[in-house]
Amino acid sequence: MHKIKLGIIGMGRMGITHFSIINSHPEVEIIAVADTSKMTLDLLKKYVSGIQVYKDYKELIENAKPDAIIVCTPPNLHYEVCKLAYEKSIHVFAEKPFTADVQQAEDLMKLFESKGLVNQVGYVNRFNDVFVTVKKYVESGLIGVIIRFKSEMFSCTVSKKEETESWRSFRENGGGAVYEIAAHAIDLVDFIIGPPDDIVGTSMNQIYSKHVEDIVSSTFIYKNGCSGTLYVNWCDTSYRKPSNKLELFGSKGKILADQHGIKIFMNEDDLSETKYKKGWNTVYITDIFTPVPFYVRGNEFTRQLYHFANTILGQEKGNICTFKDGFYAQNIMHQLFIDAQKNAIIE
Amino acid sequence: MEKIDKIVFGDNQFFGINHMSQEKAQQLSEKFFQTENIYKVYDIAFKNGIEAVMLNSNDRAKEICEHFRSNKSKYSHLAWYPSIPYPHKYANMVNEKGIFPAINDVLFSNNSALGVLGMVAKGGMAVLGKDAIELMKMLVDIEVKIYKGLDIKVIFLQNIIVDLMLGYDIKEVFYEYCTYIRKKYNALPGLITQNMPYLKSKLEEWGIEEVVICSSINKIGYLMSPDIQSYLDAIKNNDPNKYQLMAMSTLASGAIRATDAYDFINSLNLQSVVFGASSEKNIKETVSLIKLGEQNL
Ligand SMILES: NC(=O)c1ccc[n+]([C@@H]2O[C@H](COP(=O)([O-])OP(=O)(O)OC[C@H]3O[C@@H](n4cnc5c(N)ncnc54)[C@H](O)[C@@H]3O)[C@@H](O)[C@H]2O)c1
Repeated sequence: MHKIKLGIIGMGRMGITHFSIINSHPEVEIIAVADTSKMTLDLLKKYVSGIQVYKDYKELIENAKPDAIIVCTPPNLHYEVCKLAYEKSIHVFAEKPFTADVQQAEDLMKLFESKGLVNQVGYVNRFNDVFVTVKKYVESGLIGVIIRFKSEMFSCTVSKKEETESWRSFRENGGGAVYEIAAHAIDLVDFIIGPPDDIVGTSMNQIYSKHVEDIVSSTFIYKNGCSGTLYVNWCDTSYRKPSNKLELFGSKGKILADQHGIKIFMNEDDLSETKYKKGWNTVYITDIFTPVPFYVRGNEFTRQLYHFANTILGQEKGNICTFKDGFYAQNIMHQLFIDAQKNAIIE
Repeated sequence: MEKIDKIVFGDNQFFGINHMSQEKAQQLSEKFFQTENIYKVYDIAFKNGIEAVMLNSNDRAKEICEHFRSNKSKYSHLAWYPSIPYPHKYANMVNEKGIFPAINDVLFSNNSALGVLGMVAKGGMAVLGKDAIELMKMLVDIEVKIYKGLDIKVIFLQNIIVDLMLGYDIKEVFYEYCTYIRKKYNALPGLITQNMPYLKSKLEEWGIEEVVICSSINKIGYLMSPDIQSYLDAIKNNDPNKYQLMAMSTLASGAIRATDAYDFINSLNLQSVVFGASSEKNIKETVSLIKLGEQNL
């Protein structure tokens, strides 16, 4: 097979990062980028040799004929871009949130599955060494049956009243703390525990934003008796960078995890291969990291794009974060909005 | 190439950065909320023979530089190793406004002293947007401004920028950065990276020499892409007249005991180590353990 001919659509913050990472893959050739910003295109054209630049992504798809694309436009555009890619049988990596509408997410999932195209969504925590380890432990039954959990995420993304408006200022475009931040905390629940059967008690607050929520909290209910809470706040200036926190209470112990490592409390000694002792055990990121071929902003960002490329090459299974997973998260976010409206705290 | 200091005192410990533990980071950031406490630690480090300081251009660096500038006679022997930029400063602005408006703000608000006004007259961002190199030089000037009057030996570009640009494989950016640092600041260009073997091979390919390369180097291979063996090979074959290599994250955020960590470091062909510590005991111990270039004597 020839090298994967790749296009990137949307060269903002994420597009710029993804370009750098995937450009290091020996079997990938970035042939074209699309963005509506002329300044961005001018710079890329001037400094990156051999790259085609397009103002209109449709022309990129028609003319450059990529095998695969990475979609990093504002989320409300993901649908039309993915749809056209599907029509041309192009593999797609779409950033999170998958779309800004649950029906669109479901359509895309079905379309891409029907054609057997590689499809992936950018829930990058699924490639993080800590959370991958937590999932492994939960599945192996290390702390027994999960009875309660907390999934939290904090960042200082918004710390004052916005002066200017952008796509981030409106929910219809995919802006707001739910789509931008909580999406990751929600997907972690999906990844490790599974999607909930019901969502109740959702409340959203605004602190600085004019049109979208800054804080969200909610309760996830499962038919088997498990339940958990979600709390996400993107105005918390005590955090220097976005941080996920996960707490799981099970019948045999408990797990506390964040990007730095894992703390495990065992009710009894673990007799399986982990050999964790009764009481507290600590797993540091330095105990469980796996290096990546090229590092730009965390191992997980490299691993997720290599997973996409390697799946196209037939070397990996492509089952870690599919459009289906993107749809599940989208559905939960949709429920959150409905429930919050019912509780009528934001508007 | 001017020789760099074998031991350089870093700054992560002061600013609530600890890759291992949020709690530890929090404690330290409380302690060092008072800048006085930072100066105390610096004084301990200097008393123990350290003469070089690496300091990121974060929002507190300005005050720290000011302190050392106004006490220059007392600290006349110090060599400074600024690292730029402070990425978090830009992150939120970019988030709110987008990349170009954010750069526009950084460049054109409150920077009349830099001769930026002239640039505005020439067309501002519209012109600069076409010339990434000119843009980079102006951003460098803004970041380096706070260190003015201190003895600058190396100006490091942070890994977040270096590795991002490395992925784009553009020689010009690296070449122009290095040239600019040498000419304008009479300092050595420094590059921080998590991909040292690849960066070094690229610099060789591009013919860019006399550069300081700073990267994580520890015996468990933490933050060392693609793998530890590639690092060992690159270090072994390095000619220090072309590239001086500096190790950071030598303890892998505390995963390795200091004695083991520096046995490993001392056995390698490295020119410098940057480390951070906040207690006299740890500073003393680390200084006594670092013995670069003494293995082969
Ligand atoms: N995984 C993560 O951690 C993470 C982090 C940040 C953002 N994201 C996601 O990445 C996506 C992009 O976010 P960002 O932060 O890069 O935003 P951004 O605003 O920086 O970038 C969006 C880019 O899309 C371009 N664009 C707009 N309309 C377009 C069109 N019709 N055709 C082509 N390009 C167009 C814009 O000019 C801009 O360059 C979003 O889905 C966002 O939620 C993910």
